[in-house]
Amino acid sequence: MSTDAKQALQIANRRRWRRTVVRHSILIGWGLIIMFPIFWMIQTSFKDAHEWVTWPPHWVPQDPTLKNYEQIFTFDVQQSGVAREATEQPFNIWGAVADSLIICTTSALIALFMGAFLAYGISRFNVGGGKFRHSVLIIRMIPPIVIAIPLLMYYAIMVPLASETVLGFRLSLFDTQFGMSLLYITITLPFVIWMMLSFIDEVPYTLEHAARIMGAGRLYTLRRVVLPLVASGMVVTFLFVFILNWAEFLLSLTLTHPDVSTLPVLLNKFQSASEGRLYGPQAAIGTVITIPVVVLGVLIQKHLIKGFSFGTIRK
Amino acid sequence: MVEGMFILILIIPFALTIYISFLRWRANRPFEQAYLSGLRNYESVIADSGFWDSLGRTFYFAGAAVVFELIIGFFLALMVHQITRGRRFYITILLIPMMVVPVVAGYNFSMIYLDSGPLNQILAPGLNLFDINPRIRWLSNPIAAQWAIILADIWQWTSLTFLIFLSGFSALPPQLINAARVMGASRRQTFFWVELPLLKPAIVIAVVIRSMEALKMFDPVVLLTFGGPGTSTQTVAYYLWEQVWQFNKYSFGAAASIMLLIIFSVLIFFGIYLIGRQGKAIERGEA
Repeated sequence: MSTDAKQALQIANRRRWRRTVVRHSILIGWGLIIMFPIFWMIQTSFKDAHEWVTWPPHWVPQDPTLKNYEQIFTFDVQQSGVAREATEQPFNIWGAVADSLIICTTSALIALFMGAFLAYGISRFNVGGGKFRHSVLIIRMIPPIVIAIPLLMYYAIMVPLASETVLGFRLSLFDTQFGMSLLYITITLPFVIWMMLSFIDEVPYTLEHAARIMGAGRLYTLRRVVLPLVASGMVVTFLFVFILNWAEFLLSLTLTHPDVSTLPVLLNKFQSASEGRLYGPQAAIGTVITIPVVVLGVLIQKHLIKGFSFGTIRK
Repeated sequence: MVEGMFILILIIPFALTIYISFLRWRANRPFEQAYLSGLRNYESVIADSGFWDSLGRTFYFAGAAVVFELIIGFFLALMVHQITRGRRFYITILLIPMMVVPVVAGYNFSMIYLDSGPLNQILAPGLNLFDINPRIRWLSNPIAAQWAIILADIWQWTSLTFLIFLSGFSALPPQLINAARVMGASRRQTFFWVELPLLKPAIVIAVVIRSMEALKMFDPVVLLTFGGPGTSTQTVAYYLWEQVWQFNKYSFGAAASIMLLIIFSVLIFFGIYLIGRQGKAIERGEA
């Protein structure tokens, strides 16, 4: 090889290397921007009250403490009594944790059950016509505030009035776990249908056909042939819907008040406390809400695109 | 069964809302005693400058946020597409914001914008040069507060546009690009004349989905500013929430939400039409 060619190759290599470095540094830079707010929340959750708003702010807590976590996780609110300072009061978040878990799990499970059968019907028999696949998008695109006001009227006025005239006692869906679950099932059903459609479409119809010819009934085929093949898809769909419900804020803020409270609503309540903002416990709750969801999300990240883009993009 | 549920949860409430929107009713009076008032609520919504201002502001927020999300997401996807090593690592990191609960994201940014927060600390050396007190209250200035909310939205949802563009890039057929290269097209020409047209479906989908989601903006407003200072950061969702849940103007809220639904229906059908056209192009094999 001549020296000229060698030099040219060297220059090209160097240029390629430089380009790679630029790309990696841009990506790392954006990665730092992404991680910074999360890092700040986690480190605040280990700070004691006097460190929350110091100037200049401390990037690492100087005397790290678990106080914030103790404060939000204490069981015996009565025993410890009411503290003089708001920053030392115990806050019991277990009620909200239970509400959140019950509402999110039951609604995701029921939506999954219904959505899987619906998706099967749409995939195999084209129920609702070809347009159905796009028309499910509508429910997702309507701003939640538009359905929040009708639902408030419905849950808090019409259901009690109707039950009083028909059944003789007042029954309200407002501020109940049942009402919230019902609502979440309805608004997440399009997601379930979309995600399950893409999984069921991948199961070849010939398999089912073979089972049918060998004498299996329709339900038997569904249970023994299709279900095992889409089981992992169902887990992914469940987790995705669970995450959506877990993060939902507007509807749970507007349709629950004193009794039921999901975790995002609880986090918001700390802010409007009359004592000023309690940054430490808020950060602790934020960490507790976020970490499990991020872990679940990372586990199913390959499939997130299906849910978030409503199957308009396939991977 | 499912149709029944949609009727129970969506149709009946809407019928009820339309009825209530014709009533003259506030929370200080029992529902049974309210009387019909015709179209008065609709008239007051149309005459209400707060409603239209907040609607305009919502479009402004959504537009600004979506433009930045598209640009940043596109370039990040391009970068990840071009590197070979550590791709999975970067994808995992870049997708995290999407999974953070929006309320928590709003809370995180409220800590960052504090007058004694890290943002001011980072800016302090520069600000000291000009003799400005570095402890700026970002959320007390109307324009800064608006951009604070837009930035929080960009932080969280750039990962979605990134994801859509990334799958668009990885679906590009290598044969076409190689063919263009062999025929003598430069790198830049290949990008603008071959790759970009092929990415059109991904771009349209990202624009439609993100715009529709951004128009719902509510959580960061509550967590960061409560619509303030003044009304400078009220989005339409926040405005209606305040009217109904803080001021108890139920029939006004009902009329406004019906009007909002009509406005949004037009947008939604337009968006679905756009996506549907791209979807057909995908099925025909053009993309």
